[in-house]
Amino acid sequence: MATAELEARVVHLTMADANEDIARPISKPALRWWLLLGVTVLLIGVGAAAWFYQIGVGLGVAGITHPVMWGVYITNFVFWVGIAHSGTLISAILYLFRSGWRTTINRAAEAMTIFAVMTAGLFPLIHLGRVWYFYWLMPYPSQRQIWPDFRSPLVLDVFAVGTYFTISLIFWYTGLIPDLAALRDKFSGMKSKVYGALSLGWTGTVNEWRHYRRAYLYMAGIATPLVLSVHSVVSWDFALSIVPGWHSTIFAPYFVAGAIFSGIAMVITLMVPLRWAFGLEDYITEYHFENMAKLLLLTSLIVGYAYAVEYFLAWYSADPIEQESFLWRARGHYALPFWIMVFCNVVVPMTCWFKRIRRSIAALFVISIFVNIGMWYERFVIIASSLAHEFDPGGWGVYTPSWVEIAILVGSFAWFFFWFLIFTRTLPTISIAEVKEHLAHGHTDLGT
Amino acid sequence: MSGVLAQYTSLGETESAIRRFREAGHTDLQVWSPIPSEALEEAMDIHGSPVGRWALIGGMTGCVTGLLLTAGTSLGYPLVTQGKPIVSIPPFIVVMFELTILLTGIFALMAMLVHARRPRRDLSPHYRPEFSVDRFGVYVPAGQWDLSDVEQLVRDTGAVDVETDS
Repeated sequence: MATAELEARVVHLTMADANEDIARPISKPALRWWLLLGVTVLLIGVGAAAWFYQIGVGLGVAGITHPVMWGVYITNFVFWVGIAHSGTLISAILYLFRSGWRTTINRAAEAMTIFAVMTAGLFPLIHLGRVWYFYWLMPYPSQRQIWPDFRSPLVLDVFAVGTYFTISLIFWYTGLIPDLAALRDKFSGMKSKVYGALSLGWTGTVNEWRHYRRAYLYMAGIATPLVLSVHSVVSWDFALSIVPGWHSTIFAPYFVAGAIFSGIAMVITLMVPLRWAFGLEDYITEYHFENMAKLLLLTSLIVGYAYAVEYFLAWYSADPIEQESFLWRARGHYALPFWIMVFCNVVVPMTCWFKRIRRSIAALFVISIFVNIGMWYERFVIIASSLAHEFDPGGWGVYTPSWVEIAILVGSFAWFFFWFLIFTRTLPTISIAEVKEHLAHGHTDLGT
Repeated sequence: MSGVLAQYTSLGETESAIRRFREAGHTDLQVWSPIPSEALEEAMDIHGSPVGRWALIGGMTGCVTGLLLTAGTSLGYPLVTQGKPIVSIPPFIVVMFELTILLTGIFALMAMLVHARRPRRDLSPHYRPEFSVDRFGVYVPAGQWDLSDVEQLVRDTGAVDVETDS
């Protein structure tokens, strides 16, 4: 669409329009929404049944076995924690940089963060096998007076991911409070009561806002180093071991860049149907998608650079085991996943150098799907190919996921989309207060 | 208590109305806004917020808790693992850092709610649903002034809706 045409369409936006348009989807859902929800519930059921089967029969029904003891479950954990990261990037880091274009996408991106961490959190539990012992990870005074080993990166993960979930939830909820008050005032009856209770009696006095502004700013300030720390800690689950292919100092920045890359792709994947289904074209424009495409391109370049540096370091180390590990990754049993990873994460996003592609929502949607697939494979390749081909040729072996692991993988995607679907019909998918703030300061459009 | 409730449609009008009320001696104003605004805070001569101090206290509490938890439990059950010292500061820093962040966030949220006097079940009788849509509201208590004089002052500021509460 031509810029002038777009300007003509959005120039009329007022604060009342923002209230009305953004709150509109919170009404009686259409049949297609129920159908989608039904599909996700069905697939969650498939995943849950597979998990119960695993609990009943034992962890042996999963494909993980010696030497690859970390498989699809840990791949999923790392993938979903990574997906979460761009939500915090958009909501906190871009807030601190005063990037106005985040206004219309931050709410849904933050929701995605929370649902992605909820999905990620399932996998260490599923991977435990005997899930009822999960509380052993928590520091609590036990009868034997033994505590978790705080030198272990796996215990550090519990703190990092737990803090990340809590802070993301607090940050998201704080941003929602004024919007919940707007919904309380818009609706009547039970809806008004529920949103009223959730808004904690917010009325928007200057006194309330002044404390709110500071709290929001500090939360953005702490969420920024937090997001960088979380995937760094996740990467140390690997990098602190001596496994060839894992033991590398670049892992923390490599994982953080990959996390933001995959998260941006997931934001695009979610935003395109959301914008279309709820008629939010005036709010989420080509301008916003172009900015996301630029971030996608930047992080793709960082990820591609990291892939190259891994190979350079393997060669430069003059360590034959390290070199063999990386050569086997590209030529051995996992060559296909490896080249899928390279194609999806390094080659496909290069199309974003072209402005026409960056402003084409259909093209970006397709690219984002490629990146989602590529990033899942990246996690899989790092985990499975490294463990399958360690030091001793006698200990080599390959891993193939079992149907139980695949069913749980599918169920995890359904679980994520289930929560996102619920979110789209119960809460404002765009921050009403922030859009109004933008409009009140003389911006009659939200970006072209 | 009697007073006048005025509604405005723009931030600028509200800001100048607040300044006029304050110049006329009405300092006990209640102001509602659909958006956060530094300009309104300045017009009401409100500066800063103690939320930052609470966030700092939370952060320091988290950091100390992280150190006590990790070092204390390691010393309480001294078991050498991975060939590392019993009190291994580098990995413990991660727990200290995460708890610093966690308690900073929780303290900031709590401080915001306490200082904003939320949660609250009953809304102010002067609050109107339009204040969460696109209207700015200012309630001017009459105090020692004559109610009709206050109403006239409010009308002079260009309020689009004026309600007198006697």
